[in-house]
Amino acid sequence: MQSPQDKSYSLWHKLFGDPIRAFGVVSLLFLMSLAIAPAKNHFSEWRHYQKSYLRMIRGRGDAVTLQRHFRGGIQQMWLPELGAVDRCTTCHVGQKEASLVDVSTQPYRRHPVIPHSSDQFGCVICHRGQGAATTVEEAHRSTLAWEQPLVPTRYIESSCGQCHRASFAGTPQLNQGRALLTRFGCVHCHTVKLPDGSTMNATDDPPPLSHIADKTTREWIFAWLKDPRAYAASATMPNFLLKDEDARDISAFLIANSTPVRDDTIPISSAAQKSAPDPQAGASVYGESFCASCHAVQNAAGNLVGGDIGPELTRVGSKVKPEWLQAWIRNPRIYDPRTAMSHYRFNDQQADVLTGFLSSKTDSDLLANVHLDPATPEQIAHGKTLVTEYGCASCHEISGIKKPERFAPELTRIGSKPISLLIFIPGMQHTLPDYIVNKIKQPRAFGTGLKMPQYNFNPAQVDALTTALLSFTDQAQTMPAALTVPAMAVSNYQPAGKAGQLMNDLACFSCHTINGRGGDMAPDLTLEGSAVQRKWLDDFLKNPNTLRPALIRRMPKFNLTDAEIATLSDYIMTVYQTPAFDRDSMPESGYSSSQVEQGRQLFYSKYACQSCHIIDPKIDKGYIGPTLTQVGSRLNAAWIYRWLRNPQALRPGTTEPNRNMSEEDARALTAFMMSQKGSGKQEAKKR
Amino acid sequence: MAKTAAEYFENLRESRVWRSIFRSGTGTSTLHRSLAIQQNIFLHLFSTKVRRRMLNFSATWYLGTLTFGTFVILVVTGILLMLYYHPSVPQAYADTKDLQFVVSSGLFLRNLDRWSAHAMVLLVFAHMFKVFYRGAYRPPREFNWVIGVVLLLLTLLLSYTGYLLPWDQLAFWAITVGSNIASAVPLLGNKIHFLLLGGNLVNANALLRFYVLHCMILPLAAFFFIGIHFWRIRKDGGLYTQQSEPAAVRPQPVGKEAQ
Amino acid sequence: MTDPPSKDKKDFVTGVDSNARKSPRRVVFVTRRTSAQVKAVDEDQVQTFPEVLFRALVAIEVLSILLVWIALLFNAPLEGVADPSHTPNPAKAPWYFLGLQEMLHYFPPVVAGVLVPTLVIIALIVIPYFNINIEAEGLFLQDRQSRLRICYVVAVAMSLFLTYFHVYVALVPTLIVIAFMLLAAQSSPQSASPFRRYLAAQPLSYWIMTWFLFELVVLTVVGTFFRGPGWSWVWPWRN
Repeated sequence: MQSPQDKSYSLWHKLFGDPIRAFGVVSLLFLMSLAIAPAKNHFSEWRHYQKSYLRMIRGRGDAVTLQRHFRGGIQQMWLPELGAVDRCTTCHVGQKEASLVDVSTQPYRRHPVIPHSSDQFGCVICHRGQGAATTVEEAHRSTLAWEQPLVPTRYIESSCGQCHRASFAGTPQLNQGRALLTRFGCVHCHTVKLPDGSTMNATDDPPPLSHIADKTTREWIFAWLKDPRAYAASATMPNFLLKDEDARDISAFLIANSTPVRDDTIPISSAAQKSAPDPQAGASVYGESFCASCHAVQNAAGNLVGGDIGPELTRVGSKVKPEWLQAWIRNPRIYDPRTAMSHYRFNDQQADVLTGFLSSKTDSDLLANVHLDPATPEQIAHGKTLVTEYGCASCHEISGIKKPERFAPELTRIGSKPISLLIFIPGMQHTLPDYIVNKIKQPRAFGTGLKMPQYNFNPAQVDALTTALLSFTDQAQTMPAALTVPAMAVSNYQPAGKAGQLMNDLACFSCHTINGRGGDMAPDLTLEGSAVQRKWLDDFLKNPNTLRPALIRRMPKFNLTDAEIATLSDYIMTVYQTPAFDRDSMPESGYSSSQVEQGRQLFYSKYACQSCHIIDPKIDKGYIGPTLTQVGSRLNAAWIYRWLRNPQALRPGTTEPNRNMSEEDARALTAFMMSQKGSGKQEAKKR
Repeated sequence: MAKTAAEYFENLRESRVWRSIFRSGTGTSTLHRSLAIQQNIFLHLFSTKVRRRMLNFSATWYLGTLTFGTFVILVVTGILLMLYYHPSVPQAYADTKDLQFVVSSGLFLRNLDRWSAHAMVLLVFAHMFKVFYRGAYRPPREFNWVIGVVLLLLTLLLSYTGYLLPWDQLAFWAITVGSNIASAVPLLGNKIHFLLLGGNLVNANALLRFYVLHCMILPLAAFFFIGIHFWRIRKDGGLYTQQSEPAAVRPQPVGKEAQ
Repeated sequence: MTDPPSKDKKDFVTGVDSNARKSPRRVVFVTRRTSAQVKAVDEDQVQTFPEVLFRALVAIEVLSILLVWIALLFNAPLEGVADPSHTPNPAKAPWYFLGLQEMLHYFPPVVAGVLVPTLVIIALIVIPYFNINIEAEGLFLQDRQSRLRICYVVAVAMSLFLTYFHVYVALVPTLIVIAFMLLAAQSSPQSASPFRRYLAAQPLSYWIMTWFLFELVVLTVVGTFFRGPGWSWVWPWRN
């Protein structure tokens, strides 16, 4: 028996009495603590929101209906094929109640009307966030247990892009963003694999630099590298923010590395040099050739006028050497076999005049301050290192430098990139959209040694790009095929034989689409052989006129020879036919006048075609569709008939509405159309 | 009021049914109290008497008792969690989320299981060091010390296998890092790694394997060794008291022990 | 309650212990030719039921209440769904293995991951089977000079070894424990300070175990709180 033990023993007794009583007291405390857990459950957030919803609707006129629709407890939408359990409607109880249109407080606001039903797609597939969560914090924000927070409404179209892989009218911002990604060559450096297995291809067509010394001077390269926008406001090339020495060395390397191409420069004859350029004549060739369909020029007001397929020509005279320009105008394929520019068959005089006209477009300020000493071998070597480091060869073909593989981070799943893998700059929100926005706006702010160049996008473009990038999610990659709207397959279609060579030479695919390949500026020619008459086609190729007077961009005149025209026409008439019907199944002429008259009635009264089309230029004012004054000598009767019956069957997505015409109406209208030969007017227009 | 409750309880203890279950009777005599221990299948593992000195907190810090307490909490919460859990990929993670968001007090259960598991590992280590510094591993208690080491390993394995079950990033990579160590064993490393995970990677097979280990095999083994551990305390002469025993006491023949 | 011995007839005395509540009744027979002598004081004992049993239950319940409150106030960690393609940096094992993981940073896996844990387990198991662990003699109370020499050799060897592998995290605790051992060597049971008397009384097993405990705690704490991306050193109070 020692005293310290006694002491502790008595302390115990003082506190609890004997152990059994102590056990009773502590057990009571234990049970009370345990009871807190279910109590906590009772005061959960979602119960609070449901209670206050019921309080809110009590005073409303539609209380009975709302009360009947209300279901208490945790609500969930289970979408097994998407692997989603969305419990958002537990708190967002009134999202389907049309009568709650006046309620603006969340979580009781009703959902705006959208084409999809939430029962089919749930909430999270569009809004993201954590659908399974039943607390505000976990459901909406990025937490340790859930990376992906709600996507801000301004980028909501990105969620559409997970299923809608083709561009469509409902998502203009997404369409723009996707177009920018290819148009500004983002995908040269950043690989984007689309869920259908294809890779996003750039459409900016950067020029090859292997023979650049033929084309331009080192001074211009220097000025361009320092600030591409000083030369052309519409420059696709971004600013690499190079130091003067670096721009000097890169330009030295590019010139030293350049090899001459045979025949890609034509010395300007002294006579032509002496003769003062005739601006009038030059402008007229420029206009007649519809150069502006592809090339833009800045006007006096500083606005760009013209297309954006080719480079801006405002200061082209300060850039290119005249002897190169002349060779290029005569046949661009010598310098760059893959250029999108057509091979016009200009005669000597036209080429001379056009060269003079373009060479006069100079800007004396551009190269005024550029003075470069002759390059040293060290500078050239350093330039080569820089060209490799900055990945110039990702976009441009440069002889001796391989196109780098995976030069920049792949963006295939950027929309699901975990925040933990991102590095933020001070002062920005720690969210993925904010990261992408800032990465586009100020890529070099994220650290030293970064190579991504500075683009000059406006806020709308930045938002569009962010939307497009946010649509590249994990979910998009694993979306069940049944739920997706596939993109148009990318086609490598190549026409065969002599006609094929000719079509490449003329760069038809720069504007026209055939069998899925090509541009969207001019009509799709896939079924052209079924649609048009041979004679019209020959005439049109010889001397193209426009079918749509409202458009500025037109088919240029290529000065083709008769043999070339025959080759092209033969090919088009034979190959580009639809298997759906026989072109010659209906006669070109011989329709009875009563049938024609019946057609005229239908045209003007029943179907009111004149709201979009013109038959008589004096009365009709329709400019939406093509002019039909000479449709009878342009199109086949069978095509017109099929077109009238169902235009979308021949050209999906055409603006022409399907009027569900009866066979008889269609025949009568066809007869009326075929009577519109418009020969006299056609002749008048030609002159 | 309290008195009447006590009376009711007394009456209950006198009833035939109670007497058929607990045969020791209601007396407060030493005999009755000894019988209460001896005639209970679980309690008979313990000695009927304990030196008063050992009740002091400083003697043991109650570390062994508390470790057993956490084990009991883990068994109870673990069984309740098993009701809501499927050991499959990726359902396991969804079930963990459901515990958090839908199951009444599910989050509390999971929290309690997790924190008790950490507490158990801590307490087992503390118990081991306390026993060491008191010298309580000395003969005749050598074997009970070895059992204690086995229980330490079982505790670590229980916690480690449980770590994978939520199937989140934390779990996946902790198990990946941990199991990769096994690959370093010379010659057999990869085989052991494969055996542990049921494959070369942490995947659905590993999850199922860890689930079975965590919920069946390891708890049963732990019960078995805890039983021996408790029983050996009695057999080895009760809780070790430093002062009463000479430093190098030799093991004594069984039967000469007082208790 | 002693019976008065009947002196005439019997050549022995009988006695009954009076404290029946605390220990079982013992009947003593002492023969006349021997004298009664108490060899060991019997300790005061309590019944397991209810004294010990309910104390244990109360202890368990107090711990349970503590854990219940922790569980109510702090949520168990849960991260995103397991994703083999996204490796977190750093990927950490459960905390009780972080000492091991910290060692993996310095030594090849076969040493840090296999050899060391195996040796630790074996060492723990064999502790009670070696007399050196059972003797409770202070380490430096006998043979002081030669033991001190061995102590120096071991200290220098371990320091060199740990420095060679740059394991400064483990070196610091080692040096601290050695410093205390040297202090113990300079102390004796007659020292003035109670702490030095305590140190002087500690046997070899105490020093080894203390070193192990110290290393275990330091390595685990470093692995848990002081290691960031790429297992680089970070200060936990700096974000």
